[in-house]
Amino acid sequence: MARVVGIDLGTTNSLVAYVDQGRPVVIRDKSGEGLVPSIVSIAVDGTAYVGREAQRRLLTEPERTVYSVKRFMGRGIDDVVGEAALLPFRVSGDAGGVVKIGVGEKELTPPEISALVLRELVRRAEEFFATLGEVDPDVSGAVITVPAYFNDAQRTATRDAGRIAGLEVLRIINEPTAASLAYGLDKRHAGLIAVYDFGGGTFDISILLVEDGVFQVLATNGDTHLGGDDIDRIFTQIVLDTLEQNGAVIHRNGAYDAELVQAIRRSVIQAKHDLSERDESDIRVDGFEVTADGRIQRAVGRQYRMALTRAGFERAIAPIIERTLAPCRQALADAGLEPEQIDEVVMVGGSTRIPAVRARVGELFGRTPHTELNPDEVVALGAAVQADILTTGNREMLLLDVTPLSLGIETMGGVTTKIILRNSTIPASGSEMFTTAVDDQTAVDIHVVQGERELVGDNRSLARFKLRGIPPMPAGLPRVQVQFQIDANGILSVTASELRTQVEQTIEVKPSYGLTDDEVERMLVDSFEHAEADFAARLLIEAKNEAESVVTATEKSLRASEFAEVATELAPGEQRRIEQALAGLKHVLTSEDKAAIEQWTQALNDATKHLAELMMNRSIRVALAGKNVDDVR
Amino acid sequence: MSADAPAYRTRTTAVELAVMSAENTSTLQVCRSCGGGAPIDVHFCPKCTKILALGRHGDYFSYFGLRRKLTIDGAELEQRFRTLSRQFHPDYFYNASPVERRASLERSSYLNDAYRTLRHPIARVEYLLQLEGMPAGGNADGGKHVPASLLEEVFALNEELDEIRELRAGGTSPDAWRPRLERARVPIEARRAAHETELQDLAARWDALIDRRADVGERRTVLEALRERMLERNYINNLLAGIERELAA
Repeated sequence: MARVVGIDLGTTNSLVAYVDQGRPVVIRDKSGEGLVPSIVSIAVDGTAYVGREAQRRLLTEPERTVYSVKRFMGRGIDDVVGEAALLPFRVSGDAGGVVKIGVGEKELTPPEISALVLRELVRRAEEFFATLGEVDPDVSGAVITVPAYFNDAQRTATRDAGRIAGLEVLRIINEPTAASLAYGLDKRHAGLIAVYDFGGGTFDISILLVEDGVFQVLATNGDTHLGGDDIDRIFTQIVLDTLEQNGAVIHRNGAYDAELVQAIRRSVIQAKHDLSERDESDIRVDGFEVTADGRIQRAVGRQYRMALTRAGFERAIAPIIERTLAPCRQALADAGLEPEQIDEVVMVGGSTRIPAVRARVGELFGRTPHTELNPDEVVALGAAVQADILTTGNREMLLLDVTPLSLGIETMGGVTTKIILRNSTIPASGSEMFTTAVDDQTAVDIHVVQGERELVGDNRSLARFKLRGIPPMPAGLPRVQVQFQIDANGILSVTASELRTQVEQTIEVKPSYGLTDDEVERMLVDSFEHAEADFAARLLIEAKNEAESVVTATEKSLRASEFAEVATELAPGEQRRIEQALAGLKHVLTSEDKAAIEQWTQALNDATKHLAELMMNRSIRVALAGKNVDDVR
Repeated sequence: MSADAPAYRTRTTAVELAVMSAENTSTLQVCRSCGGGAPIDVHFCPKCTKILALGRHGDYFSYFGLRRKLTIDGAELEQRFRTLSRQFHPDYFYNASPVERRASLERSSYLNDAYRTLRHPIARVEYLLQLEGMPAGGNADGGKHVPASLLEEVFALNEELDEIRELRAGGTSPDAWRPRLERARVPIEARRAAHETELQDLAARWDALIDRRADVGERRTVLEALRERMLERNYINNLLAGIERELAA
């Protein structure tokens, strides 16, 4: 039987999971990595690379490589001008139309790019199922997660991405709710639960009541443009400014040198991760040096280091953490609760690894947040559980989610009349009666909007359509009923009918910033033509992935504070040999030479074997310290 | 006991039928899966057991299997909501026929709408009034017309507000007029508290009428009183919101 999976389609990373005998499991590659960077690179020959290979291409082919595309899903060009300015790739589009992203000579919509990520995840899952000896390893359907605060256009764009990838989208579910499902598997978690989901690009807070296996969302709030990316951007900018102020040349053709920006960003992320475990780290920029008179200049083979302490890091990101608290308070107020009434707080998303985030959230709710499950994986696990519920008839658990934003239509004077209020449990329906404004009016404009504001202009315009065929009647006589239906995906459809004459019109609301069915259909065909990379390319990528894991592990060991302790036990020259092998491997990694990459990977593995043993012994000693022999036995 | 039972039941059934026909125009719905007929307030076809499309249906109260009473045990309502959710939710109809999937979507939506309304005591009263054909509709009266019982308070409040506005326009410091504004709120708050009690009393009276199956005339009297209270309540809330605005300004 074909399989179904759960997919967390993230801003920074994506991953796929499935349910194996009642337990959700993340599907990993050979090197044990579950995360697939949500990065897509399209080579000159049209081959699409996704994930870690695309991440490497960020450095070598920045103009053909795109990331953080989730930020553009379901949005128009006017929405994203500010954001686009900070990203190194081309973002264009007609006013009122879908955003297009430039990848090399191609212009692709965000759902098309996301579809490539989805296809990579599905490929990974199918490969995995094949190794299990499945007769039919094909993935037939998937539950895909979205931020709870995504609006209708963003949800629809995500569903379109699934369709373009040739997937049956079983359900779109909210990330924090999915996470609660994964946590809810063990029955200890019941009562009022707050899920604080701070990822790469979005922030969500959901308040749930869990009882008898029913996961009922009481309120949700968030910010679809707030995440770890913002932290990276702050520090990348600080480094760029520092370089520039000290005389370094960092521009190329009037813009920031894209390659340099990527290299800095990568180093910033490394330092950010370090600071979750240590009190100090540094941001390293290859190819620059500080001169004797304190200026910074380009210098091949040299490295500029900017020291960063945890305290300094926390000071700089405090405003970002603070911005997550207002939605928390609003969600609590909407649920009619005080922070201290919450029984458990669950942390989701990579940014919740930052100790300052945990501390601040703990402070708000007056309790220590749960961090038992890997915050990067918990959403995909929950999505897999939901896929299982949908296809196996497993009735142990039930998710009752809400719509994050009110839905309404425009009425006289540009005022919004709400038809379904935010935080209504979905599926939900609602209707309102309208009439004509002038005599013999035969058509009515229906303008569907989403948001909490009074004036239509301040809300999100979702769609416009016309109800035609109203027989001529004096103004005020026709009775136009507009009916809203939100399905379990949180996606809206609208029906309008004139009750006196039974003229009816149903539309699945195609958002102003969405794709038509025809466009989706065409893109589906297109993607099939290009996406299959050949076998040799695949093997090369796998070799590179493995090499990269070894590089990352080695670099981490060399930077670790424990390194100094074990360094004394290394043989003379051993550290230098490790560094040489590391440099050698990093050098061939930029090439396409599979044999050389494998050779150097082996060399680095051999060179670090002794170091790995020493580090392992040390950690065992630490773990056992203070325990007596009986405990160990 | 057993000898009395049949007679008692017959009599109840007769009255119940009368009540039901007053509440519902029809007591049958049609199953779109097998074409059979089903009583209006069941959710699954008695014949083919399939989920019924939401065609003819009762009201929010009957949907939950409740009588049209204003006192509802919140925990029990929640329990019923969860039980019905587990029966209707689209998650459990993913592989069902399109007719059943549609029915599941409709029944779940209606359930969620019903629960949202019945859960809140005030929304519940408004819904009951609307159901009984006497809406206390927000916009119909617009809260412009001052309820007679509030004339005195409203007059006093408006006078006070005018003076405070003058003080403020004259540049008097907030320390001078804020306490007055706070004081002006006290009698209105008191009215609101009194109102809550009155509403509760009326709700109890209504429920007693339902219990003893009182006639339409008696019910109408209580409904009218309820509507009057609701209109006053809206008015009081508007007054308090006005004071809040002045304080925030």
